[in-house]
This record gives sequence, C-alpha cells and structure tokens, in this order.
Amino acid sequence: MHIMEGFLPHPWWEIWYVISMGIVAYGVYRLSRVTKKLPEAKPLLALMGAFIFVLSALKLPSVTGSCSHPTGSGLAAVIFGPAIASVLSMIALLFQALLLAHGGLTTLGANTFSMGIVGPVVAYLIWVVCRKARLPTSAGIFLAATLGDLFTYVTTSAQLALVFPTAAGFFDAFLKFGAIFAITQIPLAIGEGILAIFLFDFLAKYKGQLLAAIKVISLPITAHEQEGKE
Amino acid sequence: MSFGNLCAQIDRCAYTNALAKSSPATKVFFALSALILSVSSPSPLVPIIVFLTTTTLLLRFAKIPAHFYSSLLVYPTIIVAISCFIIALFFGYGEPLTEIVLPWFRWTVFKSGVMMGVTTFFRVEGALSCLYFLVLTTSMGDIFIILRRAHIPKILIEMSLLIYRYMFVFMEVAAQMYTAQKLRLGHSSWQKRIRSTALLAGNLFIRTLEQGERTFIAMNARGYDGNIRNLDDLPRPRRVSLMGIVFFDVILVFVTLSTINLW
Repeated sequence: MHIMEGFLPHPWWEIWYVISMGIVAYGVYRLSRVTKKLPEAKPLLALMGAFIFVLSALKLPSVTGSCSHPTGSGLAAVIFGPAIASVLSMIALLFQALLLAHGGLTTLGANTFSMGIVGPVVAYLIWVVCRKARLPTSAGIFLAATLGDLFTYVTTSAQLALVFPTAAGFFDAFLKFGAIFAITQIPLAIGEGILAIFLFDFLAKYKGQLLAAIKVISLPITAHEQEGKE
Repeated sequence: MSFGNLCAQIDRCAYTNALAKSSPATKVFFALSALILSVSSPSPLVPIIVFLTTTTLLLRFAKIPAHFYSSLLVYPTIIVAISCFIIALFFGYGEPLTEIVLPWFRWTVFKSGVMMGVTTFFRVEGALSCLYFLVLTTSMGDIFIILRRAHIPKILIEMSLLIYRYMFVFMEVAAQMYTAQKLRLGHSSWQKRIRSTALLAGNLFIRTLEQGERTFIAMNARGYDGNIRNLDDLPRPRRVSLMGIVFFDVILVFVTLSTINLW
C-alpha cells in the first residue's frame, strides 16, 4: 500500500504527517518505557521491524499509484501493542523509502497512518475481542493479521480517493480504488494470516517468558507450561 | 531475493559515488527542499525543472552509472504512467474534455481528470529523482548522524540502527538458506518450491532472532548501554553550495508563484 513518492499533492501529505506523528510520538514514549524495563526485548523488537520491512517489500504492483503486499504490522501489534507497532512500521517504511525507493519521504505520513496505525489498531482490537470470546489462539492471530492487513488497504483506498475524487464523489472513487486493490490483496491477506499463526506459535514456544514479561498480552497458559518444562 | 540485491546495490552506490565525501547536511538540505517544492507545486513545470537538475547532478557530479539510474527509474515510471493514465480516464469531474464512443458504451473523460493525471505523473517523477538523489549519494551512516544532530529521540535512532542491521542479517540468512536448499534439490518443482519456501520463511525467523540475540549478548558483554556511538566527523557544508541551493529554491518558488494561475 506504499503510496509513491509525490503521489499525494500539497495539503494532503502534510495532513497525514501531522496525524501520524502525534501517534508515533506516543509510540516512542511506550517504546522507551518498555526497553528501559526490559532491554532484552530489543532484539525481538528489531526483528519485528525487520520482519515488517521484508514482508512489505514483497510487493505486487497495483495500478493505483501504489502496490499490494503483506504488511506484517498486525503481528507486531498483537505482540507489542499498536503504539509500538506504529513506531516499528514507520522505521520500516523510512528504510524502504531510503533503500528501495519504495514509498517515499513525503508520503511517509500517509503510509504510516495506513500500515502503522489503522492496521495495527484493528488487528489489536480483533485480537482482544477474540481473547475475550475465548477463541483459540490461532484463530485470533489469523483474524487479527488478515483483517489488519485488509484494513490497511481500506485506509489507503480512502486516502487516494480523498485526493482523486470522481464525478460521483468521494465514495465512488473509494470503491474504485478498493476494487482494484481487492484483486491482489485478499489472497495476500489470507497468506499473511497463515504465516502469522506459525510465527506466533514459534514465538510463544521460544520466547514465552519474554512475551509474558512485556505484559502487552497475556499469553495462553500452554506457552508458560512449555517454558517451565524446558 | 531481488530486493535484497537492489538494497545492496543502492547501499554500495551511497558509499562509493563521487559526492560521497561531500557534506551530507548539504545533500539532505538540497534533496528535501527540492522534494518539498516539487510536491507542493500545483503545475508540472517545477517538478520537470527539479527532475532535470537532480538527474544532471546525479549523472555528472555524483557519477552514478546511467544504466543503473535508469534501471531504478524504469519500474516506478511504468507503474506511475499506468496509474496516471487510469486517473486521467476514470477520475475527475466538471468540464468534460472528450467522449469515447464505442458501439457498446460511451465514456466521458473530464478535463480535470486529465490535468490531475498529467500533473501527478510529473510530480511523482520530480519527487522520485529527489529521493534517488538522497538515497544514491548519502549513506545510511551519515543519515543516522544527521538524525542525531536533529535531536530525534535516542531510542528511535537505536531501534533504527538495530532494524537496519537485522534487515541485512535477514537477507544474508535467506540467501544462504536458499542456496543450501537449491543444492539439496529444493525449489526443483512447483510443489517442492512451495514446501521449500514455507520451510525457508519459518526458519528464517528463528535463525535471524538467534543471530540477533547473540549479537545483543556480545554487545552487552562490551558494555552496551543503549547508546550506539558513531564518530561524528562529517565534512562541514560549504557556504558556496548552500548559497547555490538557496538560490535554486528561490527560483523554484518564483516559478511556482508565476505559474500558479496558468495551470
């Protein structure tokens, strides 16, 4: 969903910057608190950032001045919470702009908003609801990652439609952009959901204690038990 | 992994180009000011001037190989051309420009849609050239030092450095595992390719995290306290080049203001 450098005209890129940076600033505050308390979380945090970078660089072109790819920020939101996920996504997006010229510096605000804020917030809310409803962990992770990914694209469609309205108005343009994205994005989102299940399973087994210590989530009891047995 | 290769090539260019040793502050100032001006301009004229200037600077002064620069530009240009063509055809409102009449349907193309498409195309090209200028002439290390001078929160710079390192670990590990799989007849048929890819993706995460944790332990053993210090001995900006950039920006502002009503 990286909107290309320069694709958003004058008032819009500033607006998205202002909105995103406020939330990212809160994320930086959360991040500094977590890392001060648990410096050993840093490798995992950086790994999630690199994971977001790699996943969202696996792109399929889409004809909307943008592209289609998995995001990876949903899983980060489930593990570290949406505020920290927004910081990690912003750093990943910055590197993609600087190292791959994928996305851009002026569109960084808009891209952070869709991939780093709306996606993670949706993923996190769905994860919390699934926990409350006592759904199995894998179902919760799958839904969170898949819907987080899809909502990222819904946001991008809205951002593009605000800039490029049609004769029938904003909503018509929004549907047009959404339809173009949907072709490539729905299979990708499902794939990302499945990948997220495996990765979370692995993390819960391998890093259960650290995840519990971060206390962003309450882990399933099985993970603690396995950790204890080892 | 093709993007890993691209990443490494861009990174190499940033360290070896002819402008690599000049002041990064100047380069960042030039790239960002030209970027902001060309994105803010409502007409395509400013982005065209910016595109020509940065391309000349890149090819003549930074001595970036022309074929590498054009290979970087081709892919986004094709995508943005298709995107803008679609915007020109399907979007816009108000005054109709022309009607496409085919036996089975008719389609109105709006003047504002075409203008939107054309402007967007040149805006993206101008902005892309600025982005490439920054990326191809300034190394990440220099950018980190500039960020530190700009008083970006320490934790953000630290995380960025770690993520930057991990990205390359990711790609290295992936390339190694891919070669190992190929040697053992992985990826040899369609079904095996899916299985190999799944194995690679799963193990990639484990291997990278393990390697990262070992690095972290090694850093802790050497007294890592959350600060990664780089030697801050960047060349100072030259006054002549700063004046030149300001002069260039003033011209751009003037062009923007004088064409604002024409377009």
